[in-house]
Amino acid sequence: MDNKHKNSVRAKQDRAGWYFLTPATLLIAIMSFYPIIQALLTSFKTGSSAAMTWAEPITFNYARMFQDRRFMTAVGNTFLYLIVQVPIMLILAILLAQLLNNKDVKFRGLFRTCIFLPCATSLVSYSLIFKSLFATQGLINTILVNLGILKENFNFLGTPWSARMIIIIALVWRWTGYNMVFYLAGLQGIEYSVYEAAKIDGANGWKTFWHITVPLLRPTIIMTFIMSINGTLQLFDESVNLTSGGPANSTITMSHYIYNNSFGQGVANFGYASAMSFFVFILVAILAAINLKVGDKRD
Amino acid sequence: MKKKLVSMMLVGAMTVTAITGCGSSGTTETAETTEETAETTEESAEATEETAEATEETAETTEAAAASEEGSNTLTVWAWDANFNIPALEAAAEDYKANVDSTFELNIVEQSQSSDVEDAITLAGSSGDYSALPDIVLFQDHYIQRYVADYPDAWNTLEGADIDWDDFGAEKLSYSTIDGVHYGVPVDNGTAIMAYRVDLLEEAGYTLDDMTGCTWEKFIEVGKAVYEKTGKYLLCMDGDGNDLIYMMLQAEGQSQFTDGVPNFTENETLKEVCSLIVQMAQENVLYLANDWSDYTDQAIQGDMVAGVMNGNWIIPTIEQVSDNSGKWEITSLPTINGGEGYAANGGSSLYITSNSKNVELAQKFLAATFGAGSTATYDAALTNGGVITCSAKAGESDVYQQGVEYFNNQAIYAKIVEMGANVPVVEQSDYHYSARSVLATAIINAINGADLDAEIEQAESDLKFEMGIN
Repeated sequence: MDNKHKNSVRAKQDRAGWYFLTPATLLIAIMSFYPIIQALLTSFKTGSSAAMTWAEPITFNYARMFQDRRFMTAVGNTFLYLIVQVPIMLILAILLAQLLNNKDVKFRGLFRTCIFLPCATSLVSYSLIFKSLFATQGLINTILVNLGILKENFNFLGTPWSARMIIIIALVWRWTGYNMVFYLAGLQGIEYSVYEAAKIDGANGWKTFWHITVPLLRPTIIMTFIMSINGTLQLFDESVNLTSGGPANSTITMSHYIYNNSFGQGVANFGYASAMSFFVFILVAILAAINLKVGDKRD
Repeated sequence: MKKKLVSMMLVGAMTVTAITGCGSSGTTETAETTEETAETTEESAEATEETAEATEETAETTEAAAASEEGSNTLTVWAWDANFNIPALEAAAEDYKANVDSTFELNIVEQSQSSDVEDAITLAGSSGDYSALPDIVLFQDHYIQRYVADYPDAWNTLEGADIDWDDFGAEKLSYSTIDGVHYGVPVDNGTAIMAYRVDLLEEAGYTLDDMTGCTWEKFIEVGKAVYEKTGKYLLCMDGDGNDLIYMMLQAEGQSQFTDGVPNFTENETLKEVCSLIVQMAQENVLYLANDWSDYTDQAIQGDMVAGVMNGNWIIPTIEQVSDNSGKWEITSLPTINGGEGYAANGGSSLYITSNSKNVELAQKFLAATFGAGSTATYDAALTNGGVITCSAKAGESDVYQQGVEYFNNQAIYAKIVEMGANVPVVEQSDYHYSARSVLATAIINAINGADLDAEIEQAESDLKFEMGIN
């Protein structure tokens, strides 16, 4: 029986499948899983990276981060971005997708491309462009002063509240189109006849959107939510390049602070940095799990 | 069956080449080879040969950036600024070739920024594999103490090198001397200058003599007048990396640290300095830029300022604005109670790594050029790279006595060397940049309305937390 099973066509196909998977699996194991385990071990160690010793007590690095006022500032900043930026971005994206899904809109392709285009720019270069736009002598200041809205040039990136606002604006600009594409793809999957039926029943645009589009797009919405949460919690480029975490650490993100503790300021506190990375990892996992649970309406 | 075996082996080979290809300079060749491997089985033997060749080439290219072989007459050195310290190293190589050994070769490998060298040491120290390091590295002064403490195995000392240490400024040597042992040979000079736009000062009714040795109180009075008359700030600094605190403290002969412990809250001078900075920023005397490029590109090169205070390596940045040639002059720093203040900020020195197999040659090279106050080296370093020496002997050279057109024909180099001899030695710390960053945060918060004393207290506790002191 065993022998027969081994030689069946099915078994052969299965085996072929595993052969195809082997190289990728090996690479992922070596390049990702091994470093993750090493990082976990490192997070329990302390001292100069040339001679790291086990921390005393073993959870020293984990306990330390909750007493670290600057890390807590970074956590606060990151959550501020998360709570303000993600909803704005996703609502904009779904509205734009709905608009551009309408067959009667002219130049649909052009608009779709334009809105998606920011995603094609590199994170560093768009951060630098935003930085020069909002510089004290930059374009935005010049326009606002000439229009008479501002009396004198305002230091957008040097004032805590406005610096945070600019990071949020930059993020919305960069990522809305990206999420819109997912919604557009999701909308293709909704039969046009469903909308026609709703129209016949007398539903207006808002009702159609709220009772047909949103429920049918639920899987896509959950996916974009998880991706955005994940992306925002690991936010790095904007903090480093747009504001350098300043002024006075008011825009620094968790990943930026972790970087500062490993390479950024000439210190190599790898143990502590790894521990903080695992904190971010756990946060992402928890938030994604909640999201899946809340979004899953199956019985 | 055979075919299957061969294809499996090829997949294996692909995986291996893909892995070894990572991070090496021979990636393109490896990738090509991989493609060929995949194409036909017959060519596999050939392809393997090519892979071997590619790997060899990779090995060679890595070798070139690392330390020279034992017994050779070549040294490899890493430096990062093609307009500043690399010409200085070229000058030293020429000097050594002409005067000591004509077969000597110096292989200078350019790094894109100073932190590349620091990261390379971190990487080597963390992995315990120092074989990628060159014979000599250029290293930033404020970082070296930390790196010697963290990675003691990465360095060779200069014990036994024939260098007249008394020739160098004591303050400069205090960075590269650790527990009384010399680790580095100074290249440049970090002496701080206070540069003024003399034409703008005159417009406001003041002269350079009024400013030399003045109190900060007087400075603020002049600064307000200058801003009113010309709309330019008399002082500027990067607000995130605020070096003003350190320099102003040093001019008073004080440090942020006492016996290795941060000394903020009990330090009346530090509090005074911080409150002066806050006051200057609020009264439009000081422009605090958002970051370093805002400081150099917008504030200085954007012609927003009438004065610059920093290490003399800022001079090339000032000189970028060619319209202002002849309008600048330099002098010493103001102090709290009046009198000329002297400080230093930044600068770098050369260090021999533990990976060098020719320590004796490296020591001899450093001792005969930078270490000997050699005029041939330092004169060319100054003319080609603007590197100013901190060797008293080299500073006597004629080149240093010449006036500089941009600075109204003032002999600024001689002036800087002279000021450098007066810089007081203050306590240095491994946590120099951490202290700078917490105090910069305190000052920005205070400018935005927070209570300065409370902020300084918070800064001290943040720094102590980072250092692990309770």
